[in-house]
Amino acid sequence: MSVRTLEGNARFWALAACLFWLAFTLFPLYWVVITSFKSPLGVVGGPTYIPFVDFEPTLTAWSELLSGQRGQFFSTFIASTIIGLSAAFLATAIGSMAAYALVRFTFEVRLLSAVIFVVIAFGGYLLCRHYLGVGQATSLIYAFIAALALSIISSRFKLPGPVLGNDDIVFWFVSQRMFPPIVAAFALYLMYTEMGKLGFKLVDTYWGLTFAYIAFSLPIVIWLMRDFFAALPIEVEEAAMVDNVPTWRIFFGIVLPMSKPGLIATFMITLAFVWNEFLFALFLTNSKWQTLPILVAGQNSQRGDEWWSISAAALVAIIPMVVMAGLLSRLMRSGLLLGAIK
Amino acid sequence: MSQVRLQQVTKSFGSVTVIPPLDLTIADKEFVVLVGPSGCGKTTTLRMIAGLEQATSGEIRIGDRDVTALRPGLRNCSMVFQNYALYPHMTVAENIGYGMKVRGTPKAEIDKAVTEAARILNLGAYLARKPSALSGGQRQRVAIGRAIVRQPDVFLFDEPLSNLDAKLRIEMRTEIKLLHRRLQTTVVYVTHDQVEAMTMADRVVVMNQGRIEQAADPITLYESPRNLFVAAFIGAPSMNFIEGSLDQGDGGPVFRGQDGVSVPIPAERVSALSPYAGQAVILGIRPEHTAPASGSDPSIKLKVTDIEPLGPHTLAIGKAGGAAFTAQMPANTRVGPDDSVDVQLDAQKMHFFLKSNGEALPR
Ligand SMILES: Nc1ncnc2c1ncn2[C@@H]1O[C@H](COP(=O)(O)OP(=O)(O)OP(=O)(O)O)[C@@H](O)[C@H]1O
Ligand SMILES: [Mg+2]
Repeated sequence: MSVRTLEGNARFWALAACLFWLAFTLFPLYWVVITSFKSPLGVVGGPTYIPFVDFEPTLTAWSELLSGQRGQFFSTFIASTIIGLSAAFLATAIGSMAAYALVRFTFEVRLLSAVIFVVIAFGGYLLCRHYLGVGQATSLIYAFIAALALSIISSRFKLPGPVLGNDDIVFWFVSQRMFPPIVAAFALYLMYTEMGKLGFKLVDTYWGLTFAYIAFSLPIVIWLMRDFFAALPIEVEEAAMVDNVPTWRIFFGIVLPMSKPGLIATFMITLAFVWNEFLFALFLTNSKWQTLPILVAGQNSQRGDEWWSISAAALVAIIPMVVMAGLLSRLMRSGLLLGAIK
Repeated sequence: MSQVRLQQVTKSFGSVTVIPPLDLTIADKEFVVLVGPSGCGKTTTLRMIAGLEQATSGEIRIGDRDVTALRPGLRNCSMVFQNYALYPHMTVAENIGYGMKVRGTPKAEIDKAVTEAARILNLGAYLARKPSALSGGQRQRVAIGRAIVRQPDVFLFDEPLSNLDAKLRIEMRTEIKLLHRRLQTTVVYVTHDQVEAMTMADRVVVMNQGRIEQAADPITLYESPRNLFVAAFIGAPSMNFIEGSLDQGDGGPVFRGQDGVSVPIPAERVSALSPYAGQAVILGIRPEHTAPASGSDPSIKLKVTDIEPLGPHTLAIGKAGGAAFTAQMPANTRVGPDDSVDVQLDAQKMHFFLKSNGEALPR
């Protein structure tokens, strides 16, 4: 059934409901746009709705924003762009490799090896920290390396207990997105500062934030790409295997081009996540590598409620995502995301 | 020399044994067709030769190399898949030349090989197209082109024609046969279509539940099937079977079935069959070896339930001797459902099988 088939009153109400919903969703955007062109007086002096009629638009907010009077706007925009693009790219690249491995190869992880990892990681850390008097970061590193090595070695033996397969591994990845990010953000901040004390500066650096974003995008990337790879016909890869094409070439030369639509979609979803992310950026940066969401929020806290400049900054943060959504929908309409595998 | 030998090869998936120990030797330049009902292990056997499936035990040799543990790329086989498995993002030319490109062959040489393959397969006009812009038959030819530029020791085909329509299938059948004659390469070809098997093969391997029931040239399979399974599988419409026993009649040994079926055994076969007197046997006769009763050959009564006029001749389908029976009649025969006709059996072409194990009795 479509709205077109409705008659008379029903049609009128359906249309009215749709228009109402449209206005409801567009109004905030409209409000932000006009607010960004209002003068401070125009904002505090009560609601005005129509430019040139209700109020005289000014470019004050925009010129203040772009001239850098309100925080390092350009450098923030560039930092956001660099971190967003590179984190999304790296996460998509690494995540697709992991997803491909999880689709095409069988993994068997013994639960006991995983338990060994957890026990040694925690126990080793506590041991180093409290009984051997080693520094925080150093204990972390020692414990982690020991845990990783021992669990890998132990997985070589036929340990008793249940064996985890590919699905369990995927679930483990995805489950990392289930706890509240604030937990991880706080822990990450502590870890980064400890690393900083060792001489590896991570707080407020490009790599620090990018690493965090890659790590937190990976579960989604793996989950999405796994479905794309699983939908590919395996015979194509088998044909290449029989033809003596090396595995890495099968992946880069055949599998990736075949899943281009999936890669593009995943990249964009990851980019949107990183672009809009607030919590990690708040904890892990303070000036140089601040991102746009922090800048927008900062408009408020630093100078009181200056809605005109908040609006201008918010628009700048929104526009790239609007452009991307437009691109994505065009890709979808041109069928690139659907009909490529045939 | 690219003989293929499977020695005591088995395959299990987990606890399920799909192929019990299997021995098969395929001679150099031979065109062997593996045929059998769905799920009998044809694809599994082929994939073990290609290396896409690891044999659980046993040994696989190609030429004089033991390839059992080699990965697929090192076995120098080419495989053509049922669903073509072309690289969708490459043009026809790139599809055919990709393997060579990966192996670092100079571009001029690749171009030459691609052009040559395109000429053989009539693909010249499509070299710049993507697979999605090709018909099924053209895609299948591209897949074959990709296989031949490899210059493999062995060609492996897994039901390459089953996605094509009937007419195209017959054309491609001929093309593949011609190709084999031209390239003189060993071919292992899998199909579940016995007509395809019979028309293409030098030797047909009939498989059932992972075992080889009989491996022989098409005419031998047709004329002297080794057991009931092969007899029923080969030939269309398939052979008629009547259960009964070998008895001593008035004028010599006879085959007796239900509903008064009584077929005298021809004199020249008496000595071969006499050791089985008194045992339960099954008489097999192909529809094309039946006719309306007239001469001296033995005949049975067929209760017709349906007729199928095919043009050159008409099939009368019904029951005889308590079993389903199809008889072939001349096109002008006037029979209809519910008629009862006397059908004569060509005494020379009768087959007898032991009921207990399905083995064919000696002729
Ligand atoms: N990966 C697998 N795991 C478990 N069982 C399998 C697997 N692959 C095949 N089999 C089983 O092995 C048997 C033989 O399969 P195979 O694909 O070789 O049959 P086939 O003769 O090629 O049949 P078809 O004509 O339908 O293609 C089947 O019973 C199938 O269920
Ligand atoms: Mg098969």
